[in-house]
Amino acid sequence: MAQAGSIVSPDEGNEKQPLGLLLVAIPVLLIVWLVIWPIISAVIDTLWRSDGHGHVGFDASSYVFFFTDTYSLNNLALTLWTTGICAALLLICCLPIALYLRFGRGRITGYVQTLAILPLFVPSIILAYAFIRVLGPNGFYDIVLHGLGLPKLRTPYLTPWGPVIGLVWDNIPLTVLILLSGLGSVKDQAVEAARDVGANRLQVLRHIIMPTISNSILVALSFAVLGIFSAFTLPYLLGPASPEMMGPFMQRTFDDVNDPVAAVTQAVISFAFCILFGLFYVRSVARNQGRQP
Amino acid sequence: MTMKRRSFLISTAGSLAGLVLLPRMAFAQKGRIDWYTAADSNILDFWANTIKPAFEKANAGTTINLVDAGNDAGIKAIAERALAAMQTKTDPHADYFEAGYPRLPKGAIEAGLYVNMKTAGLSNYSKVNPLAIDSDYSLPYRGSQVLLAYDTTKLSPADAPKSWDALVKWIKAHPGQFVYNRPDKGGSGGNFVRRAIHQANGLDPKAFTIDNYSKAKADIALGKAWKLLQDIAPSLYDGGAYSSGNTQSIQLLAQGVVTMTPVWSDQVLQAIAQGVLPETTGLVQLQDLALCGGFDRAIVLSNGINRDAALKLANFVLTEEIQTAILTKLGGFPGVSWDYVSPALRKKFADIVPHSIPTFPSGDWSDAVNDGWYRNVAPNLQRKA
Repeated sequence: MAQAGSIVSPDEGNEKQPLGLLLVAIPVLLIVWLVIWPIISAVIDTLWRSDGHGHVGFDASSYVFFFTDTYSLNNLALTLWTTGICAALLLICCLPIALYLRFGRGRITGYVQTLAILPLFVPSIILAYAFIRVLGPNGFYDIVLHGLGLPKLRTPYLTPWGPVIGLVWDNIPLTVLILLSGLGSVKDQAVEAARDVGANRLQVLRHIIMPTISNSILVALSFAVLGIFSAFTLPYLLGPASPEMMGPFMQRTFDDVNDPVAAVTQAVISFAFCILFGLFYVRSVARNQGRQP
Repeated sequence: MTMKRRSFLISTAGSLAGLVLLPRMAFAQKGRIDWYTAADSNILDFWANTIKPAFEKANAGTTINLVDAGNDAGIKAIAERALAAMQTKTDPHADYFEAGYPRLPKGAIEAGLYVNMKTAGLSNYSKVNPLAIDSDYSLPYRGSQVLLAYDTTKLSPADAPKSWDALVKWIKAHPGQFVYNRPDKGGSGGNFVRRAIHQANGLDPKAFTIDNYSKAKADIALGKAWKLLQDIAPSLYDGGAYSSGNTQSIQLLAQGVVTMTPVWSDQVLQAIAQGVLPETTGLVQLQDLALCGGFDRAIVLSNGINRDAALKLANFVLTEEIQTAILTKLGGFPGVSWDYVSPALRKKFADIVPHSIPTFPSGDWSDAVNDGWYRNVAPNLQRKA
C-alpha cells in the first residue's frame, strides 16, 4: 500500500471511486430498504387498494376521509400547534443557555453544561412519570404551593400543555449542542471589534451573532420539529385523550381500532409534513457546503 | 429521537427473544413439560417461584420448562406448528399453554390438537367455577375482574355506591373525584365503558356477541352509551380528563387526587400488598350488574410427548394450595368455585367475590368502542371552554 501510495498516477482518483461507492452503498441500501421502500409502499398501499370484491384500483378515499373528518383534522392541528409552540419555547430556552455556555467563564459554566445535557440520558417514560409526580395533581409543586399558603394552580397533566413541557425538556440537549456548535464559529475578535465601536449587548447579538448562527438555528429547529411531530411516549402519557397527537393517533388507529389503511394514511400525511421540515434542513446543509468548498 | 430509540429497543429485544427461544424449542424431553405463556412477567414469576417448585416436589422426576412465548400471537404460532406436527406425526415440542384460546388456530379442536378437559378425567375438574368455563378444551384456572377502588378516608364503605345509578349520583355529587382511563389503553377504564354500554342496553351482556356486530346496530347501541358517558364527563377529574392507563388511574388514587377509580382486581390487590395504595383502600363491585372480567384458561396439547404429565399439572393448578396462592400471592381470582376457597379467605375477599362475570366480545365490537369513545366522549366541549 505504501508503494502504491508513492506512485501517483493520474487515474488513481478514478480507480478509488468504486471502493468509495461500495462503502457508501451499504448505508444507502439500508436506507432504501428500511426507510425509502416502506414510504413508497405506504403510499402505494393507501392509494392502490382492493375494493373488497377483488377489484384492485386507484382509491384515495382514506385521504378524503382524513381531510373531511373533523376529528382527524383536530388531531393534525394539535400536532402542528404542539410542534410550533415547542419550537418557539425551545429557541427561547436554549439560545440564552447556549450563549451563556459560549461566552461564560468559570466552573459554573461546566455545571450548567452538564445540567443542560442531562435530559439526553433520561428515557422519556421515566420523564413522564417524574413529571406526573412533580407537576401533576397533588404533586411536589402543589405541596410547595400549599406549604407557602398559596392557592393551587391547575396542573398541565392531561392537557395539551403537558406534552409541551415534556417535549421541550426532552429536546433541550440536542438544541443546545447544535446552537453551541454554531456559536463556535462566532469569532471573539468580531465581538470585541463590535464592542470597541460602541455596540451594546443586544446589538452584538443582532448584528454579529445572529447572522452567523442563523443556519444552526434552522438545523436545530428542524431536528427538534421532526422529533416532536412524531413523538409518541410523552403525548400519550401526559396529553389529553382528545385531541391527540399524530403519534398516539396512528398507534391507536392501527392497534385498537384495527384499521391499518387509516393508520398508514395518517403516517403518510405525517411524513408529508415532516418532509417539509426536512427540506429546510437539507437546504441549509447544502447552502452551508456551498459556502465552504 | 424517541422513535429511533424505541425502534432500536424493539429490534434488539426481538433478536434477543429469538436467541432465547430458538435453542429451547429444539429439544423435547420425556419428563420435562414444555410450557408456554403469553402473560406478563408477574405470571411467569408466579409460576417460577410458586407452581413449578410445588409441582416438581409433588411429582419427582417431572420438571417444567417455562418458556415465555411473548404474546398471544406467539402462542398461536406454536399451536400452528403443533397442528402441522400432528399431520406429519412428529413431536410438537410443546405440551402446555398457560393460557390460550382453543378456537385458534381454526380447526385445531376438530383435528384433535387440544385435550378435552371435561373428559380427561381430572379429579379437580368438578371444582371449576361454572361461570368461567368457555370451552371443553380449556381449563379456567385464574381470573380477574374490574371493580371500583376508593379511598375509605373520604368515602365510608357504607356509602360506597353499589349500583350504576348510585355511582352516577355519587360522581355528580362529588365533581372531580372520579377518573377512568381511555378504554383502549387498559381494561379498567375499558370495562367501565363496557359497563355503561350494558347499562344503556338493558343490562344484558348476551346482547353483544362476537358475530352479531353490524354498523347500524352499533351506532344505536353504542350511541346510547356515549350519552351516559357524556353526561358524567363534566363531573370527572379535571372536568373530563381520562388517564392513559390502568397504572395512571391507580397513581391518581394513590396521590389522593381522586376518591374513586375502576381497577383490575389483581392489580389493586398487588398495589395494596406492595404499599402503592394504602391499607385504607376500599373495594366495591356493582351489584345490579358487575363490571366485566375474564378468566385465563390452560390448554394441554394432545400430541405432546408429555401429555399425561401436562394433564397432571392441569389438575395440580386447581388444588387448594395453588388456588389459594393465586388469590393471596398473585391477586387473581381462583378458577375454582368460591366454595372451594377457605372460609377465612372468602370472608376477607367478600367484597370482590363475583356473583356474575359479564363479558364483552372482542373483534368488531371492541374496535367500534375504541373508535366511538374517542370521537364522541373524549372531546369534551365543556372542558375546552
